[in-house]
Amino acid sequence: MSRPVSRASIIGALLKKELKAYSRDKVYLILTLVVLLLFPVMFNFLPDSVDENLTLAVSPSISSMIDGAKDTFREMGATEAQLAELDNADFTEGEEGLALVEFDDAEEMQRVIDGKLEAWRTEDGDIVLRDKEADEDKPEDAEKVNLDIGIAFPESFIADVAAEKKGVTVTVYSDANVPEEIQGAMESFVREAAYQLAGKELPVTMADEDSLVLGEDRAGDQISLKDKFRPMVIFMVLLMETFSMASLVSTEVLQRTVTSVLVTPARVSDFLISKTIFGTFMSLGQGLIVLLLVGGLTADNWSLILTTLLLGSVMFTGIALFVGASGKDFMGQLFYSMLFTIPLLIPSFSVLFPGTAAVWVKVLPTYPIIDTLVGAMSYGATWSDSIGSLAYATAWLVVLFFAGLFQLKRKVQTL
Amino acid sequence: MTEPAIKVEGLRFSYGDLEAVKGISFDVQPGEILGFLGPNGAGKSTTIKMLTGQITPKSGSAQVLGIDVSSDDPNLQAQIGVCFEEKNLYLNMSAKENLDFYASLFGIKEPETMEILRRVGLAERAKDRVSSFSKGMRQRMMISRSFINKPKVLFLDEPTDGLDPVTSAQIRKTIKEEAERGAAVLLTTHDMFEADELSDRVAFINDGEIVALDTVENLKIKYGTRSVKVRLRNSEGVHEEHIELDADGFSARLAELAASPDLLTIHTEEATLENIFIELTGRGLE
Repeated sequence: MSRPVSRASIIGALLKKELKAYSRDKVYLILTLVVLLLFPVMFNFLPDSVDENLTLAVSPSISSMIDGAKDTFREMGATEAQLAELDNADFTEGEEGLALVEFDDAEEMQRVIDGKLEAWRTEDGDIVLRDKEADEDKPEDAEKVNLDIGIAFPESFIADVAAEKKGVTVTVYSDANVPEEIQGAMESFVREAAYQLAGKELPVTMADEDSLVLGEDRAGDQISLKDKFRPMVIFMVLLMETFSMASLVSTEVLQRTVTSVLVTPARVSDFLISKTIFGTFMSLGQGLIVLLLVGGLTADNWSLILTTLLLGSVMFTGIALFVGASGKDFMGQLFYSMLFTIPLLIPSFSVLFPGTAAVWVKVLPTYPIIDTLVGAMSYGATWSDSIGSLAYATAWLVVLFFAGLFQLKRKVQTL
Repeated sequence: MTEPAIKVEGLRFSYGDLEAVKGISFDVQPGEILGFLGPNGAGKSTTIKMLTGQITPKSGSAQVLGIDVSSDDPNLQAQIGVCFEEKNLYLNMSAKENLDFYASLFGIKEPETMEILRRVGLAERAKDRVSSFSKGMRQRMMISRSFINKPKVLFLDEPTDGLDPVTSAQIRKTIKEEAERGAAVLLTTHDMFEADELSDRVAFINDGEIVALDTVENLKIKYGTRSVKVRLRNSEGVHEEHIELDADGFSARLAELAASPDLLTIHTEEATLENIFIELTGRGLE
C-alpha cells in the first residue's frame, strides 16, 4: 500500500486548483478588476472637503441699514463708542457656518438668486457680478459663489423695527431647488431678528433641540464625502468577493466536481478548509490592497481596522459558502445571493447618514463590521471604543460561518 | 482462489422511504470485469456510491481491498479509480492540468499524465482546456482520470453512455487493458452489447435486487434457445426455418439446407442479454 498523502498537501493542491479556477473565470476577473481598480479610482474622484456653510444674500448691506438706524439707536440711548463698534464690525463673516454676501441693489440680488447673474468672489473678498446672457468673460482668480437664497430688507428695516413700526415688509428670495424647510427657516430667521430688535417675546416656537439629532450626535465631527465612503468601499470589496466565492462554490457543487474530489484521499473537511482559506485570503487580500489604495491604513488604529477586515472576510466567506451551496441551479444560487446580500448591504448606507440606523439595521450581522470600520477610519475609534461591536461581529461570524460550513457539508454529502 | 477485490454481502441503502438497494451480495476478483446490468434507477449508481465511500450503507457489509467502505479510511480511495456518469471535470483547466490536479490529491509526485492521455487519444490536446472538448473527448478524459493512480479497483459508471461507436470501442479497449493489468472492474451499464463484450460475469440488477449473476455464456445457455434460423428463397419470397440443435436429425437437416441453392443465411438463435433480462424481470433495459 502506498504511503498516505498528508492533509496539508491535499489542502495545498486544492488551494492551487482554486487559484487556477478563479484566475481563469472571466466573471471573477472582472469582479476583481472592479474591486481593485474601479473602486479606488471612483473613490479618488469624491470631494475631500466639507462645505457646510450656508451663503446668504442680503440687500441692502448691513452697514447701510445700521447707518440709517444710528439716529434711532441714539434716541434709544446708545453711546458713540457703541455705535463706533458697529461701524467696525464685519457682518459678512456671519456666524459659524453662515456667510453673508451683501448687495446694494435688491433687484440685482434677485437676478443672482434667479440664476441670471453669477456672483464671483475675488481673492480680495470682493463680489463681482457677471451677466451670463451678455457672454461676459469670467473674472480672473475668482471663485464662484453659489447663492440660492437671499433676503431683501427695506433700507430702514433696523430703524423701523427698533421703533416698533408696523407694516415692515421683508422679501425672501429663493431658488426653486431650495427645500421648503430652508425657506421656512429663513422666514423664521427674519421674524426672529425683527422681534429681537423690537425687544419683544419671540412669537416663533423653537423645536426641541434633542429631537433634531437622531442617534449619536456627530455635530462638529463633520467629515468629507471621501472619508465617509472609505469604510463603505472596503465593505463593498468584501461583498463583491462574496459573490465571486459563492459562484466558485456553486460551480463546484452544480458541476459535481466536488464529488470527483471526494473519491480521492481528500475528505470533506479538506474541501471545506481549502474553501475557507481561499475565500478569506481573497477577501482579506483584496480588502487590504484597496485599503492601501484609498489611504485607509494611515490611521493610528490600523490594527483595529485590519482585525475588523479579517472578521469581515471570514464572515463573508461563511455567507458565500452558505449561498453557494444553497441553490439547486444557477437561478437558485442567484436567488439566494440576492436574498442574503441585499439585507447585508443595508447597514453600509448608514455610513452616508450617521446616526440614522434603525434598531433592526443594527441587528443585521454586517452592522458591527461597518460600524467599527466607520468608527476606526473616520472618527479615530480605539479598541476600547469598538470592543462591543467586535464581540457582536464575532458572535455573528461564528453563527454564519458554521451555517455556511453545515450547508456546504450537507450539500456535498447528498450529491 | 485469491481474496476478492470487492466483497459485498447483504448491502442495503434507502433514500428516505425509498429502498434503492435491497440486500445485494456479490464479489469481484482482481483482473475480473463484473458488468452491472440494469435499467435507469435500478440501484447501480447507488451501489457504486456506497462502494466508493460517498454514502454509507444502511446495513450489510462491503469491503474493497479488505477495507470496510463505511470506515472513512482514505486508504480505500487511494487505491480506487472512479469514472462518474456525469462528466464532472474542471472545464477551465487543461486536460493535463486536470489529471495533474487529481494526481496531486493522491500524492503522486511524477504522474504519468501524458502516457495516460496518449492511451485515450488525447495527448495532442493535453494543453487545451476541457471546455473546448467534445462530449466524446470529455468521456475519454473521465476514463483517463480514473486511471491516474493506477487503481487496483475501477468503478466505471456508464463509461460509454451516449458515445459514438468509435469512441466507445476505444474506451472499451482501455478498460480491457486495465483488467489485464490486474485491476478489478465494476462496470455499470444499461448497454447489453457493452456488458456482453467486456464482462467476465454479469449481474442483472432490477429494482435494487440482483436477479441473476453468472458468466455471459452460462446465462445465455441457461436462458437462451439452442437453435438456428435458416432463411431460404422460394416462390413466395423468403422462407424461414428454425431447427432445434438438440432435435433428432439436426445435422442431416442442416446439411441439406446448407447445400440448397436457395439458401440465403444461417443464424444461431442464442439469447441476447437483453432477452434474458426481459425474461427475468419483465422489463427492458432502457
